[in-house]
Amino acid sequence: MSFSINRRNLLAGSAATLALGAGAVRPASAQTKEVVIGALYPLSGAAAQIGVDAQKAFEVALAVINEKSDLDLPLAGSAGLAGLGGAKVRIVYADHQGDPQKGRAEAERLITQEKVSALVGSYQSAVAATVSQSAERYGIPFLSADNSSPSLTRRGLKYFFRAAAHDEMFSAAMFDFLDAQRKKGQKVDTIALFHEDTIFGTDSANAQLKIAKERGYNVAADIKYRANSPSLTAEVQQLKAADADVLMPSSYTTDGILLLKTMNELGYKPKAVLAQAAGFSEQALYDAVGPLAEGIITRGSFSLDLAKKRPSVGVVNELFKKASGGKDLNDNTSREFMALLLLADAIDRAKSTEGEAIRNALIATDLPGEKTIMPWSKVKYDESGQNPYADPVLLQRIGNTFVTVFPAQAAIADALWPMKK
Amino acid sequence: MTAAIIIQSLASGLLMGLLYGLIAVGLALIFGLMDVTNFAHGEFLMFAMYITFFCFSFFALDPLLSAPITAAVLFAFGAMVYMLIVRFAMRAKTNVGMVQIFATFGLAIVMRGLAQLFFTPDYRSIPTTWLGGKTISFAGIYLPAPQLAGGAVSILAFALLWVLIKRTDFGKALEATREDAGAVALVGIDRNKVFALGWGLGSALVGLAGAIMASFFYIYPDVGASFALIAYVTVALGGFGSVFGAFAGGIVVGLVEATTAMVLPPSLKSVGIYAVYLLVVFFRPRGLFGSI
Repeated sequence: MSFSINRRNLLAGSAATLALGAGAVRPASAQTKEVVIGALYPLSGAAAQIGVDAQKAFEVALAVINEKSDLDLPLAGSAGLAGLGGAKVRIVYADHQGDPQKGRAEAERLITQEKVSALVGSYQSAVAATVSQSAERYGIPFLSADNSSPSLTRRGLKYFFRAAAHDEMFSAAMFDFLDAQRKKGQKVDTIALFHEDTIFGTDSANAQLKIAKERGYNVAADIKYRANSPSLTAEVQQLKAADADVLMPSSYTTDGILLLKTMNELGYKPKAVLAQAAGFSEQALYDAVGPLAEGIITRGSFSLDLAKKRPSVGVVNELFKKASGGKDLNDNTSREFMALLLLADAIDRAKSTEGEAIRNALIATDLPGEKTIMPWSKVKYDESGQNPYADPVLLQRIGNTFVTVFPAQAAIADALWPMKK
Repeated sequence: MTAAIIIQSLASGLLMGLLYGLIAVGLALIFGLMDVTNFAHGEFLMFAMYITFFCFSFFALDPLLSAPITAAVLFAFGAMVYMLIVRFAMRAKTNVGMVQIFATFGLAIVMRGLAQLFFTPDYRSIPTTWLGGKTISFAGIYLPAPQLAGGAVSILAFALLWVLIKRTDFGKALEATREDAGAVALVGIDRNKVFALGWGLGSALVGLAGAIMASFFYIYPDVGASFALIAYVTVALGGFGSVFGAFAGGIVVGLVEATTAMVLPPSLKSVGIYAVYLLVVFFRPRGLFGSI
């Protein structure tokens, strides 16, 4: 790898940019300046680890943007934003603690006080809902990195964009997988939904209910539970009583850990667990439950297997490992990395830090999937701001890693079905 | 709904309730002794869970073995919190109640922040313990070993606490100080010493609860919050200041929670707890066993 993130390289990079800037003939207005992007994440509270990891992902993305490298990614080949005379990108973080009202207040602070050109965020969909409204009011683009609630792109907002898939796209892929299992002769008749009670869990379950109905799956149980419950015993008892062929949880990390532990304690072993990511793409969950997670399938936006087809995945993962103290890129951090790159790319092409110009550049985005670290076919937003080409993958936990088991073109192994007891 | 499901729910509710009682009793004890509500109670629980976790990861001590250590550390910690913080908060000339609330509430925020700084917000869990993941089952009823042990420890702790309060000189000193702190000074009992011991004892009990919980629950800096809320309801339900009330309150909360989840959607299972609490407030404001 030709670069690493350290102070000397950063300084060298800035010096080079300054030298270039001084030598080039350019309009007076295009001085080398700084582009400020606001990042809204939970940096304290129950999901604080997500925000802390997101900061590391952005740190790596900033290195790619602000330094020159040979990666096959947008902005990698130049130091800073060439379209703005080599301007460096800087991030201002705001902590919304997973609270939609704090999210709204922090978004307004970032826009009015910190003068950010664009926003990126925010993990919890409920927070994205309020942040995007503030952004809309001020005409500042908000690129959602990792919010998966489908309703977010259905509110007719002009400044809201999402490059990654939403839960209905994910859910559709999950049922495509179940259909494929049926074709292989497996008995998959009933499903049990288990979802938390905020916008993420509710939307996810609604999407799954709708698709299940359309494709002839019987919903044996639909259990909504209170997030961060001290105990899930009653809920798991009902799941066990329903005894569906597939358990489909939509849970954040804490509840996911408690679910798996309680299932084990109450002797409940479904044939398959097909999870709507969130907590189930967090290493912390697998560290906490160890072998109890064996055989669980989760949908994802990302898989490290992809490195075989897109080499930059491996390189970015190494950089992230260094920045985060040994963690691999996951579903969330990969999308966060990519989102900042896509946003900076749009600002670069807009050659402006004005909201309207950045928005137009985002609309004009047409990036082939090979130039991302994601399994997407391309990045191109539809009129609602959603990228419909964000193809999800399904990953099964086998041994101590994830194995891509679906769709066929990305899979490197057949799914273990029923999952190991 | 089969009989097995009902029995299973009630058994799980009872076990959870015993644990709720053990978590809450420290709160009730401290309040009964000196009318101070410890708003950092949940953070004490979190601290105890981390101690158990670190005993396991550094010294490979099973939570059952490290429980006495955790309780001892929490005892010292509780006594220290009284000597360094609460003692001064109680000297306030005006608005004593508010000063106490803010002092312990501030302590809660500081503890949470320090935990996040030093322990990181990562979710921890003790992967393999003697009890963890083990389950006793008969006739379709599953009783997880950690919760069974928790229930047993809880009953034992309450029994010892009862003996301590009713049968020892220390218990009499506690009771007397609670009745009239000024008068006990006249007979040579050091008020501060009794209060510090009370804080130590109350904290040691929540330490015990934390040690048990660490063997089956995940651990992170905010873990105390949801349990603290239940502890406050438990204490208010059982009666402020009543140690036996905390025991009974915990069991009631556990059973009501389990029963509600059978009737209503599980996301509403705490509705039952608060409904019972409201009824108690309406018809018996001092709590089921309260004497104040």
